[in-house]
Amino acid sequence: MTLLMYLLMFSWIFALVAVASNPSPYFAALGLVVVAGSGCGVLIAHGGPFLSLVLFLIYLGGMLVVFAYSAALAAEPHPETWGSGPVLIYAMVYLLGVVGAAVLVGGGWYETSWVPADELSEFSMFRGDMGGVAFMYSSGGGMLVIGAWVLLLTLFVVLELTRGLSRGTLRAV
Amino acid sequence: MTPTHFAFSTTFLLGLMGLASHRTHLLSALLCLEGMMLSLFIAFSLWTLQLDSSSFSASPMILLALSACEASAGLALLVATARTHGSDHLQTLNLLQC
Repeated sequence: MTLLMYLLMFSWIFALVAVASNPSPYFAALGLVVVAGSGCGVLIAHGGPFLSLVLFLIYLGGMLVVFAYSAALAAEPHPETWGSGPVLIYAMVYLLGVVGAAVLVGGGWYETSWVPADELSEFSMFRGDMGGVAFMYSSGGGMLVIGAWVLLLTLFVVLELTRGLSRGTLRAV
Repeated sequence: MTPTHFAFSTTFLLGLMGLASHRTHLLSALLCLEGMMLSLFIAFSLWTLQLDSSSFSASPMILLALSACEASAGLALLVATARTHGSDHLQTLNLLQC
């Protein structure tokens, strides 16, 4: 369990180093997939299966798919991967920064601090995070309505941003 | 600092630095922004799970909904840039340059 948590958190941080070093967007989207997958693993290991399922379905399956096919707008004949010049330098600098910060703050990180502990008073399969999300429908109904309203507003924002002809931001150049 | 606290703080700062130092593509800046939102989602979820405050687990869901709004607005701007300037290269966004 210690090894699993160690591997998941390391792959989370290092894949985000790979995204932040700004390679070509194809590779950055691939790095984000690895970040989301290992972040889901960290959440599962902490006992939150519902939130990690939401992350996988909505974030990876909804939002990142949209980013993946929008990467067609960033097509170039020679995409820059992590082996080419500036990207490699950025990645090395970020890695050194992460390792340096870990050395600075990693005082009490012995082996047992990587294992989350959980306890259960009865034999119940009702996880806390799933019950907490149910609050969004009962006491948090106001935030649910506001969230739905904001999503509807964003639909109209996107329609106005990509409207052509005389209104909007698209111009025939 | 606990390892998970270090992890999401580092990932947030890395995404922020990647956003600040974007080089050629607008889309890579948007992807770093998505990485920041992802680290915030995981931070809220870890808050819920580690401090046993189950009623707080509605907030990562609301955060995800708002981050979807932000991503779609960013992608609409990317599409507008590609339609107007031909590509999403940042050197073409130089109308305000003196």
